[in-house]
Amino acid sequence: MQRVKNVDFDEDELYDDDDEYGEEAEMYLQEDRANFAALTPVVRAELEEVGLQASDKEIQDALWNYYWDVAKAVTYLKNNRTPKPPQQTFKKQEKPKSKFDEAAERSAKGLDEEVGHVVKIIVESPSDGSEGTPCMLPPRDWFRDVPWTLPPGTQGHLVPAAPVYRPRLLGGSSKLAKAAEERGKKAATTSAEEFTANGASSSLDRPTKPKEPKENKAPSTVDEPKNSPMREKRKPTPPPSSGLAEEMPDLRAEPTDFARTLSARPTPDTLPAAMSLLNLLGSERSEDPFKGPSPDGTVTKAQNRSKGMTKRPLANKTQALKLDSAPTQAAQPKVGSRGLDVPRLWAEEKAKRKPSAAFVVIGHVDHGKSTLMGRLLLDVGAVSQRDIDKCVFGLASSTISQYQKQASEMGKASFALAWVMDTSAEERERGVTFDFAQHHFSTPKADFTILDAPGHRDFVPNMIGGASMADMAVLVVDANQLDSGMKGQTREHILLAKAVGLKKVVVAINKLDAATPPWSQQLFETVQTDIKTLLATSGFADEDIKFIPCSGLAGTNVVNPPKPSSPAAWIPKAHFTLLQALERSIPPPAKPTTTTAAQELLKQPLRMQIIDVFRGSITNPLSIAGRIASGTVQIGDVVTIQPSGEKAAIKALDVSDEPRDYAVAGQICTLHLSEIEAQHLRSGDVVCSSQHPVRVAKSCTVLIEVLEALLPQPVDVHFGRLHVPGWISQLVETVDGEGEQMKRRPRVLEAGQRARVRVGFEEGVPLVVGERVVLRNAGVTAAYGRVE
Amino acid sequence: MRLIKQNIERKTGEGSAVLLPEEPEDLWHAYNLIRPNDLLRASAIRKVISESGSGSRSNERVHTTLTIRVTKLDFDPQAAQLHVSGRVAEENKHVKLGSFHTLDLELQRNFTLEKAEGWDSVALDTLKEAVNQDAKVQLWAVIMKEGLANICLVTDHQTILRQKIESNLPRKRAGSTEHEKQMQKFFQTTFDSLLRQLDLANPKPLLLASPAYTATHFQSFIKAQAASGTNKGLRELLPKITVAQSASGHLHSLNEVLSSPAVTAKLSDTKFARETQLVDHFFTLIRKADNRAWYGPRESEKAVEQGAVGKGGGVLLISNGLFRSQEIEVRKRWVKLVDEVKEQGGEVRVLSSMHESGRRLESLGGVAVICTWPIEDLDDGEVEEEDEVHENGEVDEAWHENGDGHGIEGRVEHVEDIDFA
Repeated sequence: MQRVKNVDFDEDELYDDDDEYGEEAEMYLQEDRANFAALTPVVRAELEEVGLQASDKEIQDALWNYYWDVAKAVTYLKNNRTPKPPQQTFKKQEKPKSKFDEAAERSAKGLDEEVGHVVKIIVESPSDGSEGTPCMLPPRDWFRDVPWTLPPGTQGHLVPAAPVYRPRLLGGSSKLAKAAEERGKKAATTSAEEFTANGASSSLDRPTKPKEPKENKAPSTVDEPKNSPMREKRKPTPPPSSGLAEEMPDLRAEPTDFARTLSARPTPDTLPAAMSLLNLLGSERSEDPFKGPSPDGTVTKAQNRSKGMTKRPLANKTQALKLDSAPTQAAQPKVGSRGLDVPRLWAEEKAKRKPSAAFVVIGHVDHGKSTLMGRLLLDVGAVSQRDIDKCVFGLASSTISQYQKQASEMGKASFALAWVMDTSAEERERGVTFDFAQHHFSTPKADFTILDAPGHRDFVPNMIGGASMADMAVLVVDANQLDSGMKGQTREHILLAKAVGLKKVVVAINKLDAATPPWSQQLFETVQTDIKTLLATSGFADEDIKFIPCSGLAGTNVVNPPKPSSPAAWIPKAHFTLLQALERSIPPPAKPTTTTAAQELLKQPLRMQIIDVFRGSITNPLSIAGRIASGTVQIGDVVTIQPSGEKAAIKALDVSDEPRDYAVAGQICTLHLSEIEAQHLRSGDVVCSSQHPVRVAKSCTVLIEVLEALLPQPVDVHFGRLHVPGWISQLVETVDGEGEQMKRRPRVLEAGQRARVRVGFEEGVPLVVGERVVLRNAGVTAAYGRVE
Repeated sequence: MRLIKQNIERKTGEGSAVLLPEEPEDLWHAYNLIRPNDLLRASAIRKVISESGSGSRSNERVHTTLTIRVTKLDFDPQAAQLHVSGRVAEENKHVKLGSFHTLDLELQRNFTLEKAEGWDSVALDTLKEAVNQDAKVQLWAVIMKEGLANICLVTDHQTILRQKIESNLPRKRAGSTEHEKQMQKFFQTTFDSLLRQLDLANPKPLLLASPAYTATHFQSFIKAQAASGTNKGLRELLPKITVAQSASGHLHSLNEVLSSPAVTAKLSDTKFARETQLVDHFFTLIRKADNRAWYGPRESEKAVEQGAVGKGGGVLLISNGLFRSQEIEVRKRWVKLVDEVKEQGGEVRVLSSMHESGRRLESLGGVAVICTWPIEDLDDGEVEEEDEVHENGEVDEAWHENGDGHGIEGRVEHVEDIDFA
């Protein structure tokens, strides 16, 4: 019952569209014609019963529009023909009855297939050649103000308030318009009701949700409560669309002037309610979503702009800061420095500069690494009384001798030199280096950065951090305690130096003055042979190794060669001093191959692992230090910190404790940051260019050299300074020297094998392909390799 | 956990048990006992919505006892909460048959468990272990390094990470005391968090472990706090502190700490110490390329098939994660393996997947065997089959990628995930 009624409403709508262009009957299908033939007489008979006349055309139109619903067609025609407004009310009341009638009629006349036809048409219509989506538009425009056709986007899902649109509603159909004129004002409300209801049900084919509530808001009528649920039910059948499709050809016909006037597009101001509701419902989707820039594009644009923007305020800021602390001219180049062609500048400047290198001092605990470095610094004049005054104790105490006094008070006189490197109270108290220390010094020939690594096995993670920043290694070996080192960290450090990619080693055979007899050349040579073997097995090339006999404590052959009279007189004949050896180990910068490789490195995106996060000074409350692995960085750059993904601006930067405008790959520098919180920075994080941020991964494949038998198991994973817990999740395969697969899914990896393994992490880790990785387990280096 | 009542038929395994969980650990046992399809009866609070004749609705919360057929379990080790979802299997006046309900098992409230598949040997063992009232060992451990501290509670069956403290320590540099300052701050934070976790009225052993001296320093820090502060309980804690060396400050170092002689001397004969030693032993064997040690589901099954895991040193190490499989078949497979080993006279160790030793085992596929004689080439002809498994597993990149392939819930349920994340 309800369903039928609903169908009726839908067809009502269709009728309207159709009616105006009804002349296109020749487009009717064969079956349609048959139906017309069968039903027209029936309708006519019905009409004649109430004493009305109608032309075939009208009847056919009505039938067509009501989908062969005879009863409806009759009712419609009756209404149309009966000029009196009360007729309308009558019709309404009669409505339910008419459904019954119609049902009875149908069964009586064996026209049950009617409904079937409706469906059929619906099904067939899409295959109708006449149909085309573009044709849908004109009628929509045409009936823009008619709520019960497909309403145009601008009108949204609104069923307009009836009184405003009523005359135009009728404008959709010339016949109805006529009828409406006849009906007069009185009938207005009722007819509005009817059409509103129609409109609501016709809008079923609009798959929009927001419409629903609006319908409920439509002027309340008696029918309303009944209509709403019915609509829900009707949804599956889409007759309106099919109807529209059918009438396509009609749409091309010229409307009459009268119709045009009536159905003229409402001026925008007649639609305020519609518009506002539309806005409320957020139907911007009717706009072309791709018209503007994409969200990503906006972001990128903003970022690009902010790069430029931040530069300027930042420049001003830095300028202001500089004004406080330094003369104005210091600020001037800063502004100019933005957008520097760093690689070019670097290349130009390179010729003028001394070569520079960072070396890590490695070796077993208590073999005298820190003392040797203290001696080196003292003898080259890098640690002078003044320096110590300034940076170690303030003005109260000074010089190495002061250290000595303090140290002897603590019963550790021999540690005095080491205290240049071991600055923390803890380290001094225990006489052991904990974390690597960093120091710069220059000789006439070169600039050096010392990274004094801790030798104790518990601090191997720190040693890895230090070694990953270095260009070469200084291995310190106590000539008198070779064995302890061979078992312990001498061996491990050599492996780790290899693991982080160091190639050149200067071996300082230390404490020869304490040997028995002092400065025994024989002892030196024995040690030299042993270490050479060890280095060779670890994969160091012979020509990259230099051996230096020396004594850190006494200062013999560190910077100054021993006196000819001393028992160490044999040294200068065959060996350099430590400093000379270091200077000679620096890769010559003039070599074309290295230069191009270095140039390439500069062009890559910025990568720098954070070694340290600290408070630089009052003007630079947040600073980070590290070695630039690739790319360049300059003041004003905006960089991204991974894995936090936060951005920071570079306010200033130092290389070797001196302010610079830019820094390049290979340099150890300090970046003073702004616009970032300290909590987003951790040692081990990676600073990278915002355009090409490092990927943060939770797992990776690593090609490793196995040093200790490995199973799928938890391991400590070291990427330079970064030290994270992880686990080997899968032994992928063992490989031979060329990387060819030997065995898939081995059960266990044995020492000495090369293998590909899958490593997982608990937290995301910034990873670069080719990055060097060290796997440790239970305090022992188990494997090293590279990320693939 | 207390066993209130049971009528389990030994032969068929049919019947039910009424259990009373008393402490948070018991919920972990319950989590291992209850399987999908089991019938669980427990008190519940249910929101009942009633509609009156006029259409107005009222809802009220009703205390009722519900029996559900379990579909899903969710265990939160941090909060020690066990949520069991299922469909109501017995109708009452508030709840319709077949409607869904999630029971929150509560401490000190009985629940009745009836196994759908009957109580198998593993379930019975779990039950025995759960109701074992013998001295339960618990200790607090702080695994730390400079800038990182993991505070965790180690019980017989679980290692629960309670708090992770991370702070950014600047490196030492000449002329700056920043490092020391930050170190003190870090100790203070760690200490404060630790106090919040500890029950000082009834102090449990506290284990401090770190590489180098960090743990020692922290111990002195606690001592200083105890000496200066007014907290008397703190002084009673002091003698219970053990300091040990670990290779790193990460949680998985707990393993080596628990197996180190210094610790085993004090905490000897705890379940986890034994488990850790066993797994260590296994690792040592396999590192020596000793063909008596094998791991992985297929290899282990083959070894058991050949009768190599029998009397005289045969050990089957199996993670209880395998028994928690959602699929009944998978569980049956492992129960069968366990029964077989028992029959052969071998030792069966069910390791808790929430212990570090169990985790290590899980990374090996959840099951490993130590055979009585060396077997060669157990892994031959496995390669192709294994591949599929790995492909499935790789999706999740969890602890062990072939995990789900063998029916280990492990990380998949994200239960263990939470506490070690």
